[in-house]
Amino acid sequence: MPDSQSVFQPNTQAELAQFVADNAADSRRSLQPIGGGTTPHDVNATDACEVRLDGLNRVIDYPARDMTITVEAGIRIAELNRLLAAENQRLPIDVPQAEQATLGGVIATNWSGSRRFGCGTMRDYVIGISAIDASGQRFSAGGRVVKNVAGYDLCKLLIGSRGTLAIISQVTLKLRPIPEETRIAAFGFHSTEKLDAALARLVTSATRPIAIDVSNEPAMQLLNIQRTIEKAAMPTMLFVGFEGTRHEVDWQLETVANELRPFECPWSQALSKVESEGCWIGLTEFSIRSASSTTIKATIPPSRTCELVRMATLAGMAAQAHAGNGIVIGHLSERASTADQAIAATRPLGDFVRSCGGHLSVLRSPNEWPALDVVADSWAGSLAWTQRLKRQLDPHSLLNPGVMAFGPA
Amino acid sequence: MTESQSEIIPRLRDIVGDNGLLFNPEELLVYECDGYTVEKKVPDVVVFPTSTEQVVAVVRLCNELNVPFIPRGAGTSLAGGTLPIGGGVMITLTRMKRILEVNLRDRYAVVEPGLVNVHLTNHLKETGYHYAPDPSSQGACTIGGNVATNSGGPHTLKYGVTVNHVLGVEAVMPDGSVVQFGGPCEDGPGFDLTGLFVGSEGTFGICTKVWVRLTRNPESYRTLLGVFETVTAATQAISAIIGAGIVPAALEMMDQGIIGALEAAFHFGFPLDAGAVLLIEVDGLEVAVEDEAACIEAMCLQNGAREVRRARDAKERLLLWKCRKQAFGAIGRLSPSYCTQDGVVPRTKLPEILEFITDCGRRHDLKIVNVFHAGDGNIHPILLFDERNEDQVRRVLLASDEILSKCLDLGGSVTGEHGIGVEKISFMDKLFAPEDLAVMKSIRDVFNPDNRCSPGKMLPTAGGCGTESHPHKSHPGRRAAM
Repeated sequence: MPDSQSVFQPNTQAELAQFVADNAADSRRSLQPIGGGTTPHDVNATDACEVRLDGLNRVIDYPARDMTITVEAGIRIAELNRLLAAENQRLPIDVPQAEQATLGGVIATNWSGSRRFGCGTMRDYVIGISAIDASGQRFSAGGRVVKNVAGYDLCKLLIGSRGTLAIISQVTLKLRPIPEETRIAAFGFHSTEKLDAALARLVTSATRPIAIDVSNEPAMQLLNIQRTIEKAAMPTMLFVGFEGTRHEVDWQLETVANELRPFECPWSQALSKVESEGCWIGLTEFSIRSASSTTIKATIPPSRTCELVRMATLAGMAAQAHAGNGIVIGHLSERASTADQAIAATRPLGDFVRSCGGHLSVLRSPNEWPALDVVADSWAGSLAWTQRLKRQLDPHSLLNPGVMAFGPA
Repeated sequence: MTESQSEIIPRLRDIVGDNGLLFNPEELLVYECDGYTVEKKVPDVVVFPTSTEQVVAVVRLCNELNVPFIPRGAGTSLAGGTLPIGGGVMITLTRMKRILEVNLRDRYAVVEPGLVNVHLTNHLKETGYHYAPDPSSQGACTIGGNVATNSGGPHTLKYGVTVNHVLGVEAVMPDGSVVQFGGPCEDGPGFDLTGLFVGSEGTFGICTKVWVRLTRNPESYRTLLGVFETVTAATQAISAIIGAGIVPAALEMMDQGIIGALEAAFHFGFPLDAGAVLLIEVDGLEVAVEDEAACIEAMCLQNGAREVRRARDAKERLLLWKCRKQAFGAIGRLSPSYCTQDGVVPRTKLPEILEFITDCGRRHDLKIVNVFHAGDGNIHPILLFDERNEDQVRRVLLASDEILSKCLDLGGSVTGEHGIGVEKISFMDKLFAPEDLAVMKSIRDVFNPDNRCSPGKMLPTAGGCGTESHPHKSHPGRRAAM
């Protein structure tokens, strides 16, 4: 490859493998795999060459009656969804900017949304994977059948590895049927204490929600569902999602409303099908719908979610929580215009998250704010093994150097 | 006491105490194999640690003396996962069986690895929660063993296998260090080492604590028994059900051969003249299961079912599941020995593989019966024979090999839930390319560089200590559980 080349866009997996092999043998430039480019990740190398994977978008095999599909990793999520919908099937992972985002990117970042409470995450759907390692060698793991324990599960290793171990080139997914109906029950709360009690009640609910999301007031502005919930000027909203047959969903909407009645939510409504759809889009797109410079993600025990949302609200953040999973996404207030202000706003949250055994990571922050990393998670004991794996699979640190905090190589 | 035992035993005794180890030949016999009985090898010594600290001390001692070591749960592996190739120290975790924490609000439990699978669900009775993975051996197998093999079970069709329910593990690594991967909080930093560890068959370290996800109990069940004239008709019904977008909690098939044995054992009232029966369970909300059951019933009848029965009550449902989960036990009525395989094919290829199995039995003059997880395409053909008849044994091995190879030809796998162990090592290079295996080996080398922990498992290029004494090193995978 010419040394000056800053973008490479393969059309086939063989081309990609050849390119990576040539690079490893020759100039050894840093490679930055990019899918739809919807997740910012700043590579710590000035000579990095972008490897754009959206040209690898072929469907290799779609045996719909087996409910699996094998595709190249650069396929756009929206395109994949359209293909699957034609067979009344889906990959039930909520992805923002689906017209842009690629499957490989979603896997590499292990992105997930509200449905993860009921439907799980990528690790529950990727059953086979092929990838190009830093030396240009293509390897595979798993297979094309839904149940398979042969060999080490490298699918799990690559999901969420953020392009630092190998470049994902092909994926086999397990699929699910599209349910007849998806609806949301929305509840407004004046206090996080009442909300917390309601969340505790859901643990033994007769219903089986597939999503339990919480949004604070600034987040509601971003969800763009004000018109739907115009009467609800509530400090905190709870959204409980249901899927299934119409009959089943109707019963659950009614049941959950009855169950939460004692918790004094001054406003509640079973959203219509159209309203639910709009609300779901808002919840899915929340993570990218902000002009804020900085976005954080915290994971904590689900029982501590309300407390964290309260703290995020005090810090001026727009916060959305997948409360059943203990995951909070927060956009810093636009008023936090310097790194120092951002750190001051985020540090108490980081301290709290760590105190309950959780993790806080920065999804997005300005390049010139490296100091913000101080609030990010200090890795647990697994760091040493993570570093060793990285060194083993990418000894020259060519793939996305600096993207994960591996420490000194 | 043999020479290899004399140095290590006093020092192991210092770690686990007098009651924590076995080394007399007659005591060791129990540990010469697991559920895969054809290959046998006694360990030099078996220890029963009661804490992570003791496991650490044992592993460090083994490293110091360059002795191989292998973890073991209840020894229910059907693939020789706990065969102590090369002898050494067997670390049996059955005394570490406490439930350390149950947290319903955060939907997890923390358990020690020696806890018997079903004991966790029993412990959760009245809470409305359970632990979802339910291998047929769940009354005996341990959760640590389930983690090592990524075990499945009948209800994995809807709920997933072990890895889908493990949030974190604490492990004593082959170098004697203790590490925690994952934990009660989701999406931890770095790689998903929990996911990588689950199913590594003891080659990445010894699991000493597990954080498992708890699952809400279904409100209701409908359990149906579809009776079909032929296996082909039954498989067509399966395709129709799955194709219609219904994901039953379980979808199991039993053919005529096994039905007879089950009826003799349990007197359920199975139709002895049926070609195949489907055991189908839907679970969920009461408002939903009735519709689903009716839909499934209609589809069975459309696809040639002679009749569709329903379990009348919880008692009958439990009896049906007892029949299914103890089916292997009933095989004793059919023949002195049997061999079961664990192949997987895409669901739509079930008719093809079952036809092949019938034909294979005919060609090798063997009786083969089937009871398996049809919804997942996970077949368990059971080859019947008499182990005293050498020619029959030879034909059984040949037929097993042909069936698994056919699974691969059809785009499937040689193991859906039993694991590679030693039984299927010879299939690994048919299933994976050399470069796939090279990456897997390089990853094992990160965790287990000396291959002292569970040597000779999972990867065909195992090498290292112990392989010289392997009883069937040239054909380690050819012999099935007899």
